[in-house]
Amino acid sequence: MIDLINLTKLYKGLRAVDGLNLRVDKGTVFGFLGPNGAGKTTTIKMMAGILRPTEGRIIINGIDVRKEPFKAKRCIGFIPDQPFLYEKLTAMEFLRFIAGIYNLNHSQSLNSHVTELLNLFELSHWSGELIESFSHGMKQRLIMCAALLHDPDVLIVDEPMVGLDPKAAKLVKTIFREQAAKGRTIFMSTHSLEVAQEVCGEIAIIQAGKIVARGTAEDLERQAGMKGSLENVFLKLTEDGKVAHEQSLSSS
Amino acid sequence: MPMNNLFRLLSPRILGFRNSLLRSESTARKKALIMAIVGLLFWAAVFVLSSRVLIHFQSVEMIGDILAHHLLSMVLLTFFSLLIFSHIVTALSNLYLSVDLELCHSTPVHLEELFLSRCANTFVDSSWMVMIFGLPVMMAYAYVYQPGPAYYLTLLHMGLATAIIAAGIGILLTMVLVQIFPAQRTRDIVMLLCIFLIVGLYLMFRFLRPERLVDPEAFFSIMQYMTALEAPDSPYLPTHWLTETLWDHLTGSGIEGHVFGTVYVWSSAAALVVINIWVAQFVYFNGFSKSQEAKKRRRGGQTLLDICLKSLTKLIPDDLASVMDKDVRTFFRDNTQWSQLLLLGALVAVYLYNFTVLPLDRNPLPMDFLQNEIAFFNMGLAGFVLSAIGVRFIFPAVSAEGRAFWILRSSPLSMKRFLWGKYIFYLFPMLILGEILVVFTNYLLHVSRFMMILSSLTMFLAIFGIVALGIGFGALYPKFKYENIAQVSTGFGGVMYMIISAVFMGAIIVLEAGPVHVIFIAGFRDRALTDLQWLYVIPSFAAVLLLVTLAIHKPMKMGIKSLTQYE
Repeated sequence: MIDLINLTKLYKGLRAVDGLNLRVDKGTVFGFLGPNGAGKTTTIKMMAGILRPTEGRIIINGIDVRKEPFKAKRCIGFIPDQPFLYEKLTAMEFLRFIAGIYNLNHSQSLNSHVTELLNLFELSHWSGELIESFSHGMKQRLIMCAALLHDPDVLIVDEPMVGLDPKAAKLVKTIFREQAAKGRTIFMSTHSLEVAQEVCGEIAIIQAGKIVARGTAEDLERQAGMKGSLENVFLKLTEDGKVAHEQSLSSS
Repeated sequence: MPMNNLFRLLSPRILGFRNSLLRSESTARKKALIMAIVGLLFWAAVFVLSSRVLIHFQSVEMIGDILAHHLLSMVLLTFFSLLIFSHIVTALSNLYLSVDLELCHSTPVHLEELFLSRCANTFVDSSWMVMIFGLPVMMAYAYVYQPGPAYYLTLLHMGLATAIIAAGIGILLTMVLVQIFPAQRTRDIVMLLCIFLIVGLYLMFRFLRPERLVDPEAFFSIMQYMTALEAPDSPYLPTHWLTETLWDHLTGSGIEGHVFGTVYVWSSAAALVVINIWVAQFVYFNGFSKSQEAKKRRRGGQTLLDICLKSLTKLIPDDLASVMDKDVRTFFRDNTQWSQLLLLGALVAVYLYNFTVLPLDRNPLPMDFLQNEIAFFNMGLAGFVLSAIGVRFIFPAVSAEGRAFWILRSSPLSMKRFLWGKYIFYLFPMLILGEILVVFTNYLLHVSRFMMILSSLTMFLAIFGIVALGIGFGALYPKFKYENIAQVSTGFGGVMYMIISAVFMGAIIVLEAGPVHVIFIAGFRDRALTDLQWLYVIPSFAAVLLLVTLAIHKPMKMGIKSLTQYE
């Protein structure tokens, strides 16, 4: 479903993403973890077609994002970490705008689908309000509505829980699990180890642009050679990754 | 009042300025250099124009000096008013709405220090442009009247004090306004007031026909003329003290007034600083706190706009219709955006009015010839007006997506389709406006049928290029992070667009001038064109067509490439 092949991104000589190879199967919630500046958002932006990779390929649903970006984008729902939206539109107008961009306006079921999503994300009472009056969490939920509007096969999510209250966070976790059960693939970067442990079927840890560990939470414990909370495992693996990265830098 | 942290609070701004100077990349340095050259040229143009006006005044017997004195008073009063308005707008941002204020207010600094540091930022932001562009006018006075060094010294210190007074009034008014309305609403109200004021002043100034002031013959009596010269001045205005002191230096009159002028202006400035700090102690934090509260819920609502948009977007493909629908709604819901249409209306009204008061009957050239010549060059002027409109409305069309640009980048809408959609969207209103400007002025000038067809057709074609240049340059120099969309037009890209657009219109006029002259002279003499003349005329018009095609194709292609690669 998602294939990242030798994915590399250079920023003025810095290897933000360094030859990443990943395969994520259909119906998986995949957690993408890493410390700040590890390359998570860069990877995600490349997958969403916002950044151009320096090298490598991204295959979504069998479509090469670089070769057929628009076909690939039709299969993707993207949820960024910062909810920048058109503040002067109402929530309903914004969703209709998104529907138009994806050529869904003539769909018979659009109205019922929009209503269903607004209800799902508890925004139906706010559908006629201008987005500028929304809180951060409400904007984040509206973006999630918009990302699901065209029924994408793959959801790419950058830090989904930022700005959400516990109730909304629980709602989002439930929705992600349900979407995966329906066969959607969810690729999610997060800082929250609790979220990763709770929702993700598989986890990869990225450090200095490279995958340092991947597998289920139990697999990661094994790789770290320690039992305990995922937090300790994460700290151990990223510390090991950091040391290895510094050694490779000094030897080169 | 402790002031230990005042410099510390100002340091991020100073360090940021230093870093942007020292660490800027070569492209940024080149951009800055070009902007500086354009600024310098503008500065020089204002100096030359002001000097010429003053020299012309001196040649008018008896009243030359009175005119120059009144002009100085009006110029200083205008700058002073501009400074007050500019301080109100900037103070709203600096004192209440800036993103870094939360951090500053959470630190253990005294309120007075924070207030003064933000006032200092406001003063610099609001004054530098008015000061720099006011300087050539004052230098023109110095060039014409040759005063001693005391003039420059007075200009420096009294100018500074007057600017501090304007800042004091502007900031004080802002604090009062924010007590009445929330800061966000105040900004909208102030922006609207500014637009109404500018439109009003512009229309009033034009309809007063100031060109008559240098033509006393146009008045029936000296009394009537002197009344028309009355400037809105008062001995209680700081600009009056500044004007009189500077004028004394310029004309070498007595110096007894200087001391009083200096005392008045500096004591008023100092008093306003103290009053502002005193008022801020009571109201500033309360206003800031109110501005942090959630915005009032505002409904979108079903309006006439919905009906219009529905019928308009029926004819367009879904994805482009959605972008257009969003653009129109955003435009009309943003007070700072739609209110600019009032300025546009005033600009067009005055443009057309100018043609109704042209003194064509006083010219020695044959009427027919002159009217057609004016109509021909009017195309260039209309093109320039359209470029000015383009830089405000079309150039920022891409940047208007703002921080929400990621939505389009991650959507299946190609940048090519997106840009051409924007192009079509702006093309039709510009075609209508351009044709109104040309056809209506041609009608007022009673031009020949040939000139009517030629100028309408040329303008029609040129608008295709002007719009493409606007969209293309907007995509080449996008600015998605801004506080106010109006800032987008004033950047490097906006200036480049204006220059290229002016060159484009100039090239069309140059290419057509020769052939039009040939055709016109042949018509005047009632003769057909010779084969040789046809050989000159046809390639010239073909070159215009080629130029327009290039102006459409090249910037759009570059814009599409740039946006597609945008990261």
